Parts: sequence; structure tokens; C-alpha cells
Amino acid sequence: MIEKFPNPVDYAVPIFILLIFLEMIWAKRRAPEKYEPRDTLTSMAMGLGSTVAGVLVAGSVWAIAMAVYADRLMTLPFALWAWVLCFVLDDLAYYVFHRSAHRVRWFWASHVNHHTSQHYNLSTALRQTWTGFISLGFIFRLPLIWLGFHPAMLFFCGGLNLIYQFWIHTEAVDRFPRWFEAVMNTPSHHRVHHATNPRYLDRNYAGVFIIWDRMFGTFTQEVADEPIRYGIVKQLGSFNLFWVSFHEWIGIARDLWSAPWQHKLGYVWRPPGWSHDGSRETSDMIRKKWQERQAWTRSTSS
Amino acid sequence: MMLLLAKLGASLAAILALAGFAKWLGLGRPPRVQDAADAKRVADMIVPGFEPVEITLDRAGSGALMRDASGRCLLIRPHGATFAGRLLDTATKVDLDKDVLTVTPNDRFFGPARFDLGQQAANWAKVLRMQSR
Repeated sequence: MIEKFPNPVDYAVPIFILLIFLEMIWAKRRAPEKYEPRDTLTSMAMGLGSTVAGVLVAGSVWAIAMAVYADRLMTLPFALWAWVLCFVLDDLAYYVFHRSAHRVRWFWASHVNHHTSQHYNLSTALRQTWTGFISLGFIFRLPLIWLGFHPAMLFFCGGLNLIYQFWIHTEAVDRFPRWFEAVMNTPSHHRVHHATNPRYLDRNYAGVFIIWDRMFGTFTQEVADEPIRYGIVKQLGSFNLFWVSFHEWIGIARDLWSAPWQHKLGYVWRPPGWSHDGSRETSDMIRKKWQERQAWTRSTSS
Repeated sequence: MMLLLAKLGASLAAILALAGFAKWLGLGRPPRVQDAADAKRVADMIVPGFEPVEITLDRAGSGALMRDASGRCLLIRPHGATFAGRLLDTATKVDLDKDVLTVTPNDRFFGPARFDLGQQAANWAKVLRMQSR
């Protein structure tokens, strides 16, 4: 029987703490507005809650994973090439999951918490969901297990992926050399992802490799002279942990209750902001209106 | 189990220490709305394309009330070291106390926003109450 590997994130936590500490000192010297104590407290409390939630459901996730593995297509070995392939394919699976988590309200309800901070710093990286298991987000990894990667290998690669994504949550780093920015997810690329500027909405879903966004048409470059507004389209305006965790689930429940029968499911599977009567706006609608305004401004100023 | 509880306890201690450190460093002071142009900039960030035709700043710079040409009203107020805002609708509660207007959007967790608007407070109370009818 193969033992599970240790969770690499557990070993990275002391480094996370040290880096947050250093970033705060950087902020004090260069940009004090980049941190807000209550926002940071909320982010880290969300991270702690997410860890507790993970512990509570770990057994169930493992059981499901092993049940799928029992019916695998082939058996991929614990060889170096398989580890590399697993890491890359897991990152692709993460891209698919992450894109769904922005385009399907059900998955968004679990992922939105991570985006609720109006700040972008290393503590934001820890603002993780408490309802990941409830939203069934783990199903995006199951195809790789069915293909033949052992769950222990996959979850270890997932941990490494998570560790990589921690350090990109910062404004302390501008840009890396072009070759690096071309392939890897970076602070610049991920700032775009966390932005609510219309040009940046629903872009740059990458975990480790930005190549998936370039391949599938979801990449946008950060523009130097446009200040980024972080958070979500309708900012919460609250540091309340309960509201941060559950506001979108509550929103879905309210909409399911009040929507006409033929439209109820739309409020679950369609993009966030969709409404049967057009009274709300999706990211695509916000972007389209912004593009029209830009075009009008250009035509009147020329 | 004991090890897990110890890890969680240590994590909680680290969290409180980091948040306390941020507070001790004086990070994240509440922002101020400097002038009408600043209010316009913030409004566009909160509601892209919102172009106010009427702007009244809180006298201490702690936010603003704005109205656009189509009659939509927007409040902005500090949220930590940034601003948050709400488009106001028919469910908005308005309380006027001389020069101070307290506006409570239909969003329990957003909470009320208090504006010291001077002589403009009564005008805004009228405008917002008419919206509520």
C-alpha cells in the first residue's frame, strides 16, 4: 500500500509567515495603503478556517480519489517523468477548474471568497475557501486519477502548485524578464486576475503556467498606466468572516427562492451576474460596455 | 490529534501576531476623498462608467454622495484603507440629523454610512427619500 506523501504546504507555512512579515516592512516604507490590519486578519482567518475544513473532509476526498483510482485506465509509475507530467497536467486541471470557478456561479460561490479582499498582498493568498468540498471543486482532478496518476502523487503536486501561487500575490514585484513572463504565472499576471477593472475581468486563470491562458484565449497583459482596483465587482464593504465565506451561497439561495421556475437553474450554472431579466451584469457585459465607452471617447476626441 | 491542535494553535497565534504587527506599523490608514475629481475617480472604480453630475463630499473627506444624469445615486465611504460604495435603491434608509445624513443601503453587512454634508444634507435627504417612494 502506498503511503500518502506529507503535505508540502505544511512545511511552507513558516516561510509564508516570514514573507508576509517582510512584505509588511516593505509596505511601511513604500506604500502603507497596501496593507490593512483587519483585511489581513480576515484573510488569514479564512486561511485557518480553510485548513480546518480541509482536515474535516480529507478522509472523504481520499476515499473518493481512491475509488476512482481503482478503476484507472493505466498505472502511471512514481518515476521522475511521471511526476513532471503529473505536475503539468495538474496545472492544466487547475486552469480548467479555475476558469469554471469564475464562469459557473456554483463554483464561483466557493471561490469568490479569495477575491473579496480589496488589497493585493501575500496575506491575500491565504484568503481561501471554507466550502471547497461542498462545491465539489475536487472533481476537476478526478480525470487525472482515472487516467492513472496515484492520488498521493496528484495531491502532492497540487500542494506544490499552491505553494507557487502564494508568492505571486504581491505588488512588491513589478515584472520579470520577458521569457519568464511568457511561460510562468507571475505577480503581474495575477494582479490582472484579481482586478475588477473591466479590461481585466475573468482573465489569467493560471496556477503555475500562464501558457494555458495564452493557448485558450484568456490572457491579458497588465497595463502600466491603469491603476488596478482589487476585489469583486460589488465590493462586500465588510470584514465579517461569515459574510466573506457564505455571501454568494446566500445569494444563490435567495435567487433560487425568488426566480421563476424556468429560470431557477440559471442562477446556479450560468456566470456570476447573470439574471433572467437582465437586471444585473456579468463580466462580459461590463467589459462590453467599457469597450463601447472607450470607442465613443476615442471617436469624440479625434 | 494533539499535534493538529498544536499546529492550529500556533497558526492562530501567528495570525494574531501578524495582524497586530500590521496595526503597530500603522499600515492602512483610512483614505480621504480630496475633491470632486477624486470622488469621480473613485466612483468610476466602484461603478465603471458612473459619471456624476452632482457630488457632495463629506466635510471631513470620509466619503461622498453622488448622482448621475439618469438619477442613480451612489455613496462611497472608506472601507479599511480603500473605498467601498453602493448604488442606492428604493430600500435605502435615510436619517437626517441637522448636517449629518446617515444612509443605510439595503445590505446588512455593508452597514450604514454617515456623512457630514453641511447645508447639503437636507437636499440629499429629500433626493434619497424620493428614490425610496
